[in-house]
Amino acid sequence: MSDDKNLSHIITFEEGWGKQIKPGAVDVLEEILDNGFNNKEGKFFSNKSYIEVYTKCYDMCTQRAPYNHSRELYQKHGEIIRIYLQTKVLPAIQEKGIQGGKPLLVELQFRWNNHTIMNKWYAKFFTYLDRFYVKHHSLPSLIQAGLTSFKDNIYQQIKVGAKDAILKLIDQERDGEIIDKTLIKNTVELYEQMGMGGLDTYIEDLESKLLESTREYYAKKREEWITTDSTPEYLIKAEKVLKEESNRVKEYLNTATESKLLKVVEEEILEKVEPALLEKEGSGCKVLLANDKSEDLQRMFRLFSRLDNGLPPMASIVQEFISSMGHEILNQRQARLDSGEKDSNDDPQFVKALLALHEKYLGVITTDFSGHSEFHKALKDAFDDFVNKDIGNYTNAEFLSTFCDRVLKSGGEKLSEAEVEDNLEKVVQIFSYLTEKDRFAEIYRNQLAKRLLNQRSASDDLEKAMIAKLKMQCGTQFTAKLEGMLNDLAVGSDQKTEFETRMREHDTKMDFGVQVLTAGFWPTYPTPEVVIPTDMTQCLDIFSGWHSNKHQQRKLKWVYSLGNATVKAQFGKKTYDLQVSTLQAVALNALNSGTSMTFTELKKVLNLQDEILKPLMHSLSCCKYKVVSKTPSSKKILPTDSFIANSKFSCNMRKIRIPMASLEASHNSKLVEEDRTNAIEASIVRIMKARKTLAHVQLQAEVLSQLAFFKPNPRVIKKRIENLIERDYLERSADNPNVYNYLA
Amino acid sequence: MFDDIADPDDDSVATMEGISKLCDHLGIDPLEDVKILVLLHKLQASSKPAQITREEWMNGCHNLGTDSINAFKALLPSLELGFMERAEFRDFFKFCFKFNLEGTHKTLDKELVVALVELTLNDRIAKDRLATFQEFLNITKDTSYNTITLDQWMSFLDFSLECPDLSQYDEEISAWPVLIDDYVDYSNGMKM
Repeated sequence: MSDDKNLSHIITFEEGWGKQIKPGAVDVLEEILDNGFNNKEGKFFSNKSYIEVYTKCYDMCTQRAPYNHSRELYQKHGEIIRIYLQTKVLPAIQEKGIQGGKPLLVELQFRWNNHTIMNKWYAKFFTYLDRFYVKHHSLPSLIQAGLTSFKDNIYQQIKVGAKDAILKLIDQERDGEIIDKTLIKNTVELYEQMGMGGLDTYIEDLESKLLESTREYYAKKREEWITTDSTPEYLIKAEKVLKEESNRVKEYLNTATESKLLKVVEEEILEKVEPALLEKEGSGCKVLLANDKSEDLQRMFRLFSRLDNGLPPMASIVQEFISSMGHEILNQRQARLDSGEKDSNDDPQFVKALLALHEKYLGVITTDFSGHSEFHKALKDAFDDFVNKDIGNYTNAEFLSTFCDRVLKSGGEKLSEAEVEDNLEKVVQIFSYLTEKDRFAEIYRNQLAKRLLNQRSASDDLEKAMIAKLKMQCGTQFTAKLEGMLNDLAVGSDQKTEFETRMREHDTKMDFGVQVLTAGFWPTYPTPEVVIPTDMTQCLDIFSGWHSNKHQQRKLKWVYSLGNATVKAQFGKKTYDLQVSTLQAVALNALNSGTSMTFTELKKVLNLQDEILKPLMHSLSCCKYKVVSKTPSSKKILPTDSFIANSKFSCNMRKIRIPMASLEASHNSKLVEEDRTNAIEASIVRIMKARKTLAHVQLQAEVLSQLAFFKPNPRVIKKRIENLIERDYLERSADNPNVYNYLA
Repeated sequence: MFDDIADPDDDSVATMEGISKLCDHLGIDPLEDVKILVLLHKLQASSKPAQITREEWMNGCHNLGTDSINAFKALLPSLELGFMERAEFRDFFKFCFKFNLEGTHKTLDKELVVALVELTLNDRIAKDRLATFQEFLNITKDTSYNTITLDQWMSFLDFSLECPDLSQYDEEISAWPVLIDDYVDYSNGMKM
């Protein structure tokens, strides 16, 4: 405004305030707030009256000193509010709310609303103060001052009463009554506002008290429920409670309260009774597992997941349970052996039970425990425990391998390819728990060789698939020999046609095929130096020639204990095709002349040891198809027995298979022990070479950590160390006998 | 002096026969008296088992200042095991093992070991330790203990001196040879 204002009328404070502002604004406002509107429109101030007051204020604040009334106006603003609150508002609240509870809150809500309106209008009227005076003197803004006044004069007096009222209503709602949520929500907003921009007031005056009373409330409920309810019943209630409290926050509390509130509830309702819930007789975790109570277990998992350390105790019970089920399977096997069942290396019932147990609880973990790692660990620890306990004369490693053999060989179990692969997958899962994986590998290798050499493998693809699974578990080195074996056969079939072409160039009296085995991959078979008839040696020589031409560096050794032959035999007028082994064919050839030979004579002519010749002659003369007659015709083979071709032999079938007990490959166990000794020593040397000097305890620990496929006894490792000391690879340190030095 | 005990086929060495003759001269019994071994050790007869070379003899006599049988006789009392310090005894103990090896063998037979420990350890370790160890070797059915290695031999000595109390023995962390572990098991088993 221009200067010429000053020339006209100067407004004194008394005039401005007394004549205009107080009657025109303050009194009107207070009247309406106290008694309601007296005009039809329900408006506080018309534009005209508002502008009048505003302008008066503006004028009073822009007058030059000493007529600038900003300071007095500001003080008056504070005063009128304070007086109104103290004389009108507080008594009203105290009167209406003398009994506390809902009436208190209702009155408080009314008065707080009023204050908000009042605060807003005064700020509008005295806006000009906010623009300059307040800023210039760094004073609280008008709205701020108003709020602070409310806080000091009203809030501090009623905050406890209001808090008690709120908490009581909340407990009532918890007990199932319907309450006025809006009332509480508005009151909560008051507490929030009283924080003047922060939540501290709300937290201190309301939230912290709410947490305390919540704790008390649920502690009581917990004590009630834990004695009367079964675990599933209790958990259902707990879940319901948590959902309700979460909703409560959303409906009328500050969102920051949610996590704290839920934590208190979780502590009281779940954490403090977790052991009791887990172990409750008749309905605890173990019982739920035993009865496949999937839904209850899911709920239990959900709820205990919320706690910091909620899952490990539960997982521990799961582990114990699975372990006891596993031991039960072991006991069943023991019981069968005790009741007289013959012990053999084949126990499909046992293996299937293990596979089924694993599959079941893998499923439970996925479905009920969301595949949580704590439970996978429990499954693993449980299986680690009992899978390595052997019952009877055979190891579990052997049972697993034999089961694979059943499933992979032709004429074994009648399963589709998908079923076979599924079974193999499951076996590999159990295999992963075996400590003595190397033992499994050796047995598997022997059985695979048998399948491959006797053409009893149902499917090459399935063999490859199984090896691939083992490779994924254990690495390339573990399956190298197995893959080598399959490769030998693949190479053999590739080269077969090439060799057959070569064979046709010569005039041999028989068809002939060779399977070349790479020595390191296959089990070691006996290689008897039996005397081969010339017709056959001719074929062998052709092959040897062709082979050494193709592969100059390789050396061949014939394994006559393997291989088979078809012998065309004529007995009387009938001809037969006899399917026999190589050795049987050689023996038949020796008796072809029709003259009798004694055991001793045959032994000399054929150059075979007793251990081989006896079962050989037995198969030809004492079994179902007696193509050779033995004198005397007892079941035992003695050196004095004599043999002659059985001219009276007759049979309905044209093709006859004469089985012979196949000669055992070199014993599994010994090989495994040898490999282990080498592996331990190699590991010790490797470690010592790198470390140069190492204490006994550390060396032992590092060796154990390096050995993936078996776990030796510490004494075994020690004996290897001593052996290496003897062989001057290591020495004991002169300063400390507990330390070893590497000797380069 | 050496010519007297030298081997008839090879006069550059004196074998057990010659050494036995020396014992006669000195008036000691080679089977019962450890002093001959001590003497051989001091003469540093370490090149090959069961013999002493002329060179070793000459050097040894020179070092000991013994130029006659009587000089040797005078030396005898000082050859008591009790006079040896721990370190020197340890060397001697090692020498005993090596000197008693047969040909190219690297181990000693169990029976010989039982006798040798009696001879050498009699006053150096606790009597009951020695006795139970001998018992253990005699009784054990473990055929790997039919022969004893140098490592096992030396370890027994070190172990006896370092671990007088078997109740503290912890097999889990011990680096002693398995022979010692088995021996402790045996010894504790007896006490139970």
